[in-house]
Formats: sequence, C-alpha cells, structure tokens
Amino acid sequence: MAMQTTIERVDAHVPITVMTLTGELDASNYLRVVDDVRPLYEAGVRHLLLDLTDLTFISSSGLVSLYSIEKVMQGQEPPDPEYGWGALHEVGRAVDDGEIQSAVQLCGVQPGVREVIERTGLDRLFRIHPDRATAVAEF
Amino acid sequence: MTGLDPSFPVDRAELERILAPFTRVRDGLTVTLQDAAGRRISGSPADAESSSNARLTRDLLVGGSVFGRLVAEGPGVTDRTTAASLDALAVALERLAEAGQRSPAASAAEAATAAPDRRSGIAAELAVGRLHQRSIVSLVAPEVAGYDLASHYEPARELGGDFFELFRMPRRGQPLGMVIADVAGKGIAAALLMAFARPIIHSALNAARGPADALERTNRILVDEVHTALFITALVGRLDPDSGRVRLANAGHEPALLVPGAGGAIDSIEGGGPLLGAFAPLDLTEIDVVLRPGDRLVLYTDGVTDSRSPSGERFGKPRLLETIERARAGSAHDLVAAIRSAETAFRDGAECVDDVTIVAVGRHAV
Repeated sequence: MAMQTTIERVDAHVPITVMTLTGELDASNYLRVVDDVRPLYEAGVRHLLLDLTDLTFISSSGLVSLYSIEKVMQGQEPPDPEYGWGALHEVGRAVDDGEIQSAVQLCGVQPGVREVIERTGLDRLFRIHPDRATAVAEF
Repeated sequence: MTGLDPSFPVDRAELERILAPFTRVRDGLTVTLQDAAGRRISGSPADAESSSNARLTRDLLVGGSVFGRLVAEGPGVTDRTTAASLDALAVALERLAEAGQRSPAASAAEAATAAPDRRSGIAAELAVGRLHQRSIVSLVAPEVAGYDLASHYEPARELGGDFFELFRMPRRGQPLGMVIADVAGKGIAAALLMAFARPIIHSALNAARGPADALERTNRILVDEVHTALFITALVGRLDPDSGRVRLANAGHEPALLVPGAGGAIDSIEGGGPLLGAFAPLDLTEIDVVLRPGDRLVLYTDGVTDSRSPSGERFGKPRLLETIERARAGSAHDLVAAIRSAETAFRDGAECVDDVTIVAVGRHAV
C-alpha cells in the first residue's frame, strides 16, 4: 500500500520533529513506519509530532505502529515492535500515573482514524491536537 | 548459524521469545519443552502436587524424527482448545527447526539471500502452518436449540491473528459463550499470541462472574506475562438461550450488530473499553441486549470493513450495514453468506491482507 512519510524540523520552544504520514497505515507498512522513527531517536530527537492530516486509514496493525513509536521515543529496547511488551506497559502505567509527558503527540487526526484510536483506548497514550499550528504552540 | 544448540535444532533466542508467553501460564496450567532425551529445555519444573494433574504431550518432529516434546499440565489441559493451542505452538517450533536445519546445509549464496530478512523467511515457513491455523480457528459450533449459529473465517495471506469461538459453558442453563478477537499485527508473533490467548479467554469466560470480568482476567495475564508489542481486541458475550439475554463486554473490538427480526434499524452496540494487553485495569462496562425471536446478532473483525477493492477503496461499515440490510430476511447462515460474498465480490480477486471473520447468532422466529 502506498504510504509516504516526510520529516521536517520545527523550532518552537522545544525542537520538534514533525513526521507526516500520507496514505493508509496497515499491515503492509506498519513495521516500516517504526523503522523510520528509530534513526530519529538515535539522532537525538526527543519531541515527535505525528501529523496525520493526510492519513486516510488506520488498521489494527497500524495501531501497533503508533504504540511502538511511542516506545522507541521513550528509548525503550528492543526496538522491534514484535517484542518488548513489558516496556510498553511501563510507558502506559507511567502515562496513567501522570508521571511522564509523552514524547509523541498527534495532530490532524481524521474522524475515521480517530474512531479507531479512541475505540481501542490508545488515545490515552497520546496528546491529540486539532492541527499542526496548535500542536507546535502547545508541545 | 550462531546460537544453535547442537542438541536442539531451534535457535535459543528465538525459542525463548516464542515460549515466554507459554511457560508461565497462571490458573495452574504449565507448558514445558523437553529435548529428545526428555531433559527440560524451557518452562518451570512440575511441582510435586502437579504429578496428579492431567497432562498432554505433543512430540516435535523434524525430518521424520523426534527432536523434542511439549508437555502441558494442569486442570483443563485436555480440553480441545488447549490441545489446539499446544498443537499451534508445536507446529511453529517444528517450522523453526526445519528452517534451522536447512540453513547450515544451504549453499553460501542461498544463505546470503536468506539472511537479510530472517523474519520473512520464518513467515514463509509458517505459510504451511496456515492450514493448521484454519483448523484451529474453524471449530464446529455447538447445537443450541432455538438458535442458528453461523460463521466464516478466511485467513490472510500472511499469518494473522483473528479467532472466534462459540461454546456451551459448563454452568446452569448451559449458556452460549461467544468470543471474537483480533490480534493486531501479523506473522508468527500474532499467530502465537492468538494460540495463547484463545484458551485463556475461553477458560476465563467459564470461570468469571461475567464477560467483563473474563476480559479483565485475560488482560491481567497478558499485561503481566506476555512480552510482545502486539495486542488484542476482543468482544465476548454470554447468551442465555431461554431468555435470549446476551451480556457483552468489548475490549476495543468492532461493535456487535443487532438485527431486529421485527424490522427497524440495525443497532450497532457501542460501548466498552481499551484493547487487551496495553492497560490495566480495563474498567469495562457490560452491555445487555436481548435477542427476541427472529433477531440476529452479527460479530465481525476489521478484516471485513478494511477489505480493499482493486482500486484501493475500503469495504467499510456503511457497505457492511447495507449488505446486512438486504439479507436481513434470511437466516444467520444467509447473513454470513451475504456478507462473505459481498466482501469477496468487492475485493474482486485482490488478496486478503487481513483475516476475515464473521459470526452470526440468530434466534428462530416463533
């Protein structure tokens, strides 16, 4: 499935890396998106905004990407999303406890994508902004 | 090949990852792996008490000879879901052993081409396992007087993680347990998590106060014991056949659809909580619906609505509802057949990227 990602740097009061996902996130590409994030973290990126304005579809496999991206950005190992569930639980608990500010935030989430994220409860893990400008101002 | 134990033909790290969810199962069920000589490779040693437990053994074969043995012990171990899960695990281990045996013998050139994506190589080996997976998932539905039960399951090209089950629960009135679930993600990890979760949900539903409690128990096991970044959406229910009352609990799954026999709008039964394996507790609420004579309840996985046409369009929920609307005069079997043929026609020969599962429970009209 065709999906494109672009990466930009925005300097707000913190340096923000904006990753734009265009197309459909599903079983055919969900691992690749995580692969795109890994070098960003290794290069020192600590504030990642996922701009989903042009993401028209997300499958349940796509949810694994979002979840794994969150983990990678917390510096959790191992980075392969098929492994390391325990680390993710810690992230989830920490978020539940209000201990950490999520390193990954979302913006421009379209209604169909939002419905899937909310139905599965993953909206608990991410701060969701209406658009990029708001996200950059409030990150 | 590094990390290959000469006495056991499966890569050690791979083995530990696969077995981790199976070796520390709660509720008294343990799974241990032995080599051909009966030495324990993985899993906790059986304690003295457990010697009286029921035990299920499955030999592991590669190239026609036994290289190991899986042993499951504990109450309920001989039920068919546990046996099926053990078989799924055994098949996965056998495929890995085959892959491990072939690699050293392969030519350097073959090894070089195989090396870059070992994971997809294993997935290719496991393609054979699809047949086994189909046999695990497509269990025969029980007979329930006054009801029609129908289902359809089509696995994706790559191993997926849908599963469903309809079974009579061993309690007063023999209620019908209903489970439909989808492991997010693909490949060996998804298939194994499916094989692992299925009997847990089944036994949790039997043991729990209700469907929400069953999912909470399952979630606790997944959160505490399973180490993978995959997770599961699940919709479970308990139907009392006499009254038609259905109590549902939904962990992040597509909502059930209630199709009234008397006519009127199809009701999408919303409500629930987060998917299994990510958060604890789930704080699920239960939803009660009543199947009156002539009513049907349809459960499905996102493989139906996410199905793609050759032009890239998705089947979607509106089309699903239209399909059910057109077929609503028929039986539960007719409904499932209608959804199945609409989805297949829509896909128009494109391959199935996700498992497709449809279940319908219909109460006979009086």
